Amino acid sequence: MWYLFAKVVSMTKLKILAIEDDQLFRKVMASQLAGHTVDFAENAVSARKKLETGNYDLCFIDLKLGDQDNYSGLKLIPLACSKGIYSVVMSGHDSQAFIEKAHELGCNDFYAKGNEENNIGQVLARFCRRKEKSKEENVFKEHFVTEDPATKATITEALKYAPSDLPILILGPSGTGKTSLARLIHDFSRRKGEFVAINCAAHTEELLEAELFGYKKGAFTGANETRKGKLLLANKGTLFLDEIGAMSLKMQTKLLKAIEEQTFYPVGSDAPETSSFRVISATLEDLQSLIKEGRLRFDFFQRIHGLTIRLKPLSERKDDIFPLISFFTRQGRRLSFTQEAKTELLGYNWPGSVRELKKLADLLVAGDEGRVQADTVKRLLNSLRPEEGASGFTTDEQYRFALRQGLNEAINRFIDGIIEKSLKAHNNRKYATMRDLKISSRMLYDSLRRLRVALRPLRKNKKQTPAVSINPANIAPTSGSNDTKAEEKVVV
Amino acid sequence: MTDNQPEPLEQLIHDVNSKCASLKSAVQLLRNASDDERRELLELMAQQAEALVKIIVEYKNQQ
Ligand SMILES: Nc1ncnc2c1ncn2[C@@H]1O[C@H](COP(=O)(O)OP(=O)(O)OP(=O)(O)O)[C@@H](O)[C@H]1O
Ligand SMILES: [Mg+2]
Repeated sequence: MWYLFAKVVSMTKLKILAIEDDQLFRKVMASQLAGHTVDFAENAVSARKKLETGNYDLCFIDLKLGDQDNYSGLKLIPLACSKGIYSVVMSGHDSQAFIEKAHELGCNDFYAKGNEENNIGQVLARFCRRKEKSKEENVFKEHFVTEDPATKATITEALKYAPSDLPILILGPSGTGKTSLARLIHDFSRRKGEFVAINCAAHTEELLEAELFGYKKGAFTGANETRKGKLLLANKGTLFLDEIGAMSLKMQTKLLKAIEEQTFYPVGSDAPETSSFRVISATLEDLQSLIKEGRLRFDFFQRIHGLTIRLKPLSERKDDIFPLISFFTRQGRRLSFTQEAKTELLGYNWPGSVRELKKLADLLVAGDEGRVQADTVKRLLNSLRPEEGASGFTTDEQYRFALRQGLNEAINRFIDGIIEKSLKAHNNRKYATMRDLKISSRMLYDSLRRLRVALRPLRKNKKQTPAVSINPANIAPTSGSNDTKAEEKVVV
Repeated sequence: MTDNQPEPLEQLIHDVNSKCASLKSAVQLLRNASDDERRELLELMAQQAEALVKIIVEYKNQQ
């Protein structure tokens, strides 16, 4: 596959100041630095003025500026450093004393004049590598926080391919940062278009098709207006397919065709749309099983797995726990832990990975404990984790209810309670609820119908502030059912 | 190093080295230069050679 080899090598145009009194040498430099924006200073006074602007990526400094000059180039090094300009000293005389002095003053590179054809190229390559390195370090401190060498290497590798069209497949358990990484790759891709994400597990087949390809007004019940699909919205950008294992084989075939031809038909339309986008996909399922069990078409898999990235669960990179906590609390209250609390955090196995850690950090910040104690950590971790023993998960009230009304009723009531809570937490945003609870749209709508029925008598008597209100325009059709109709103007 | 005036011989070595280095690099450039560039380079190289002679003579006169 061509794209496996489409490694991107990019050399940016640099702003360079060359401080050099020798006219012939300036000519040599101008030629060797062609392609960059180059400015010259012939003496120390003019060099100072130009360096003061700080408007350069790097500067080449000749040690001796004029026949009678007393190595005034050396004195320019601290100024360049203070302005954050990478300074390269060049000298016709590479005595050890000069090299040491220049480095002492803070120069970043030093070379002996006389072989500019090779030297300048090497200096620029070293500069770019350093710049890349510090950019990378910034990524691991500000964007995808990790101190784990293997994870750093994985992300660095992925970011190398960010500007290419190479499809990327991200694997990893829930909460390991798959979505965050997909977004980071997009941010580094220099694409003009948007990052458009879709969770394939949160939609029925018909709804997924409508979401991906868009639809024409009247294409199906509830299609009250023509709507653009994610494929079109991702034009010149990135399409992030989350939970690809949940996509039906039929949908995989359709999507494969759209990706390959960059053309597709919205539902109910015979006018083709064109869109070119980069595909990043993710799944927390085992890839081999998906293929073996025939849930992932091999040709579709081939198309989406240009580069495969596996993110380790937090339990395999525990060195990241404290840097992540610092990151999550960077804009608010900083946390401090007793030694026992630290041991507790390091001993825990983090089944929900980074997401679970983030939730814990949020809870700790909201608390009022000065120094976090081990007991607090234990208590909060317990509250985040479902009880291990099944019976501990069931309250006496639930048990009595099940005895009275039957288990099915009890299960529904349990589901409805959780869904209602989540909708409230998300300001009634259904997608957020489906994503968080990892449920299908069918489950959500069934529950909403039950909630509406349960509250109907109340509405008749008294106007209630709705706990959940649903805009029917946002309710997408479900397959082969009349649910949509039944749910019109639902106010629970 | 920068506080005291450098030794004249040390200065001379530095200047000769620098000027020769420019000449060496200019020769590398000549290979792929256009006619106009070549003319300009050769002119500058000739001036550089004269400058070399001058600093050596000056040094000799100082001794
Ligand atoms: N390395 C990281 N640095 C900073 N924040 C992170 C990192 N990894 C994950 N997070 C944060 O943790 C949370 C979960 O991450 P994310 O949604 O990217 O995980 P995921 O693997 O996509 O989860 P799921 O499998 O449930 O889709 C998010 O709030 C995200 O911002
Ligand atoms: Mg995700």
